[in-house]
Amino acid sequence: MKAFGNIHPSVLMMYFLSVMLVSMFASNPIIQAEALFGGALFCLCIQKRGTALRDAGFYISLFLMVAVTNPLFSHNGKTPLFFLNGNPVTLEALLCGVSIAVMVIGVLLWCKCYSEIMTSDKFLYLFGRIIPKLSLVLSMALRFIPAYIRQSRRVSRAQKAMGLYSGKSISDRVRNRMRVLTAMISWSLENAMDVSASMKARGYGQKKRTDFSIFRFQRSDCALFAVCIVLLSVPLVGMAAGVTDFTYYPGISRIETSPAAVAVYAAFGALSVLPSVLEAKEAIIWKYYVSKI
Amino acid sequence: MKKWISGAIFCLLIPAVVLSGVYLFPARQYAFISLCVTVLSCLPVFIRFERKETGTKSLVLISAMTALSVLGRVLFTPIPGFKPVTAMVVITAMYFGAEAGFMTGSLSAVISNFYFGQGPWTPFQMFSWGLLGLIAGLISEPLKRNKLLLSLYAAFSGVLYSVIMDVWTVLWADGTFNITRYVAAIIAAAPFTVIYAVSNIIFLLLFSKPIGKILDRIKTKYGL
Amino acid sequence: MEILRVEDLSFRYPKAEKPALSHIDFTVESGEFIVLCGPSGCGKTTLLRLLKKEVAPFGEKTGSIFFEGAPQESLTCAGEMGFVQQNPESQIVTDKVWHELAFGLENLGVPTDVIRRRVGEMASFFGIENWFRQKTDELSGGQKQLLNLASVMVMQPKLLILDEPTGQLDPIAASDFIATLQKLNRELGLTILLAEHRLEEVFPIADRIIMMEDGGILLNGEPRSIGPGLSKLDAAHHMSCALPSAVRIWQGLDIGGTCPLTVKEGREFLKRNYSGQTVTLPEPEYLHEEATVEMKNVWFRYERDLPDIMRGVSVKVYRGEIFSILGGNGAGKTTALCVVAGLLKAYRGKILINGKQVKDYKGNTLYRRCLAFLPQDPQTVFALDTVRADLSEMTEMMEIDKSEREKRLDEISARLGISHLLDRHPYDLSGGEQQKCALAKVLLSEPEILLLDEPTKGLDAYAKQNLRDTLRELKATGVTVLTVTHDVEFAAETADRCALFFDGEFISADTPRKFFAENNFYTTAANRMARELWKNAVTCEQVVECCKSVGGAK
Repeated sequence: MKAFGNIHPSVLMMYFLSVMLVSMFASNPIIQAEALFGGALFCLCIQKRGTALRDAGFYISLFLMVAVTNPLFSHNGKTPLFFLNGNPVTLEALLCGVSIAVMVIGVLLWCKCYSEIMTSDKFLYLFGRIIPKLSLVLSMALRFIPAYIRQSRRVSRAQKAMGLYSGKSISDRVRNRMRVLTAMISWSLENAMDVSASMKARGYGQKKRTDFSIFRFQRSDCALFAVCIVLLSVPLVGMAAGVTDFTYYPGISRIETSPAAVAVYAAFGALSVLPSVLEAKEAIIWKYYVSKI
Repeated sequence: MKKWISGAIFCLLIPAVVLSGVYLFPARQYAFISLCVTVLSCLPVFIRFERKETGTKSLVLISAMTALSVLGRVLFTPIPGFKPVTAMVVITAMYFGAEAGFMTGSLSAVISNFYFGQGPWTPFQMFSWGLLGLIAGLISEPLKRNKLLLSLYAAFSGVLYSVIMDVWTVLWADGTFNITRYVAAIIAAAPFTVIYAVSNIIFLLLFSKPIGKILDRIKTKYGL
Repeated sequence: MEILRVEDLSFRYPKAEKPALSHIDFTVESGEFIVLCGPSGCGKTTLLRLLKKEVAPFGEKTGSIFFEGAPQESLTCAGEMGFVQQNPESQIVTDKVWHELAFGLENLGVPTDVIRRRVGEMASFFGIENWFRQKTDELSGGQKQLLNLASVMVMQPKLLILDEPTGQLDPIAASDFIATLQKLNRELGLTILLAEHRLEEVFPIADRIIMMEDGGILLNGEPRSIGPGLSKLDAAHHMSCALPSAVRIWQGLDIGGTCPLTVKEGREFLKRNYSGQTVTLPEPEYLHEEATVEMKNVWFRYERDLPDIMRGVSVKVYRGEIFSILGGNGAGKTTALCVVAGLLKAYRGKILINGKQVKDYKGNTLYRRCLAFLPQDPQTVFALDTVRADLSEMTEMMEIDKSEREKRLDEISARLGISHLLDRHPYDLSGGEQQKCALAKVLLSEPEILLLDEPTKGLDAYAKQNLRDTLRELKATGVTVLTVTHDVEFAAETADRCALFFDGEFISADTPRKFFAENNFYTTAANRMARELWKNAVTCEQVVECCKSVGGAK
């Protein structure tokens, strides 16, 4: 998670947005499969083995659920396999279900990677320039939340030790949490006034603010940015021109294999494995480095 | 002049999105367009907030209310669907106005998803919670006075939230608005919708008064 | 050169009967280190906040404040006067350390490359490099307060105002913080105005002390003149208890000479006047009743993969005694207390409360007429909007007859002296008052065993004496008191037995005299001064008494 995570946030944001948009909305099975593969590969790179295994179980059951239930909602298609309650279950609907499942899981995996890589500080940095006030509000809220969670644990403990709803029944638990939340509202608003005093004491709102950050746009970021743009523009142009169109209804269309379509597949494939490749490269370099020392 | 330009850009953006959706993703154009339009419809409120003078205290209070609604989501994690987020947003809107309501709602969505996982649902959550806050802010006076109206609104917001989120689920999966799937989704989510609505009513009835008192106290003590 | 001048300043809060400040006059010279002291509620905070106009409270103000010769109203730059508040937690605005450091400079519109340099410079000066990229939430209390100081210092203030900045810190973090202030004053010539109630360390390094009482200035002079000054006003002035041990002993002996300030000076002062052999005062056998709290080989850890916090703890606490648990920061004292209170579950061993295992108390029975727990932060005890509401909720919970409830409530408030506070909001009270009200709420469950976590945190000397008296009264009614504290002086004065919690175990448990006499460093200032004369005199009173008993000065 070192190599890709260290790239400049703006490049990262562009990368994730483009990959997620394409994988979310493209209907071509090859592109969907590439997105799923890229997402899964990168997830494996940045996650611990244990969680990956646990997640796999979830994704497989999700896959089955989406793929199998689709024919129940959609009776289009011209190749009925059998009839259920008088409604046809078609091959097209079944395959379309598989495609939806692949797409949904691909997007979920990419979202996971996004959450892992685009930490809140990068997010704030990006929006700090465009929407400074909002991003300050976000930054403060992010700072408050862990403090609130900690304080709410203390409150809950204190209330329990006074014997106020300290039982184990559901109603006691709900009421305990309600109390904690009410107590927290008082506490947090009082606390908020201290924060605003501290902001004013440091001159907030007196002048137009500047925006400081510790991220720097480096040459490698620039190069990667260019690569991303090129790799993204090929599928975008291709898709706009319709070279990779694919439909399930009424009949399943043939997968395009024209040179233009192949170029789209290749470019998007490269784009989706890019982070994993970078990660692998970094790992190899490191190994080489260590062996030298 | 500047305002006019940004207005014009805004008017052009929506058709541009629609067109690019039609050409780029013909099979799932509706999902794409709905996602982009949702994002775009949050923008005017954000831009207005950016431009306006806001006191330091109100700024911190919006952050605090946002953090509180996320805290609520965290505190009640063990009980599925039983979440005070909507209630917090509505209360903020009742006492700090429509804009603060929208901000708290949409920011709560972004921030809580830093903890619970971002996804394509984030913009829709932003939009729905924001919208619920906005509406509550517009009818804040009657809401404060009338308990029945408050409960009705609480129930309505539970249902509206589910309905909006299900539209997205269906559009995303099918690319078009498949009514069978929509009905199925609504039925499948019905127990949760009921819990949402009920929890909203409980939280709002329980909290609106005490929080109102707390806020009034803060207002006199610190001169808001 | 004069940097700050306050002329005839008076202030009244809205709706308040009496003024918070009346006719304050003083000046601050550039480069001075001034300590402002006085009991809580004397107007220190109000005064400091008025000096900094951005955080000035609302109310009626008369008189004037001049900063560098110019009236305060005409100042435009917030950076010239730095302000640090008491609670380290509530001053941090952003979620990352680096962002917090830059926040003030961003507000002033400083270009980013200048910010980069200044932030880097400050981070190095304060030793923040190692946690520069961390989340602000992950820092310890001491680090947070240091960050607050650093993020004010990046704005290059000429005057630094601090309002009890060490009140919420443990003793080691507090010493570090004070040392940093001294460094800023010595090396950068920074003018510092510090409100503080823990005077032991700041007294010797201050240039001047301003002592306040009831909204006015009582004394204003160099540190050495404060002891004699106070004695002149009244031989047993109630503010004496806040002074450093050396000054208190000097006052108590009343034999003249220069007033000592530090342990070193105090030790020389005693040696000069009372030389002789080291005497160990006789200590009677400690008599006790049966055990009420007993831990047998208790092991605890928070998660499976985390290290053990309690490693086979075995201890007995006897009925009707005040038992103090001392120990360093993060040693797990609070955890041990929570385990006794049944809030955390030990994974091995037995905890017996009145001979019955904690886990055998079903539902709320442990917390009804048996055991009560007062947490470190009294604010966590309140959930309603008046003290009265909070207390009556408790009487309801205790299933006391309706007719009795009111009486019980009045009784307890009279006993703790909080009757006048009942209709206030808990958050409007001072730290000491909050604690008394929280204690009242906890005591309504009529406990036989009372657990207190850091009860002296943030309290001034007067409130501490008050707490000590309350605990002694409780003890007299047969309540067993178990406290966890950093405060060596408080433990020495209050406890029947002290124990050191270290590395997951109780190292020793003994009466304060025996306990502290064995320690070399971890003991009271009074004991460190007098140990060569009276090995086991641990409080100022004991030292004074011993000196007087040997028959006056040489």
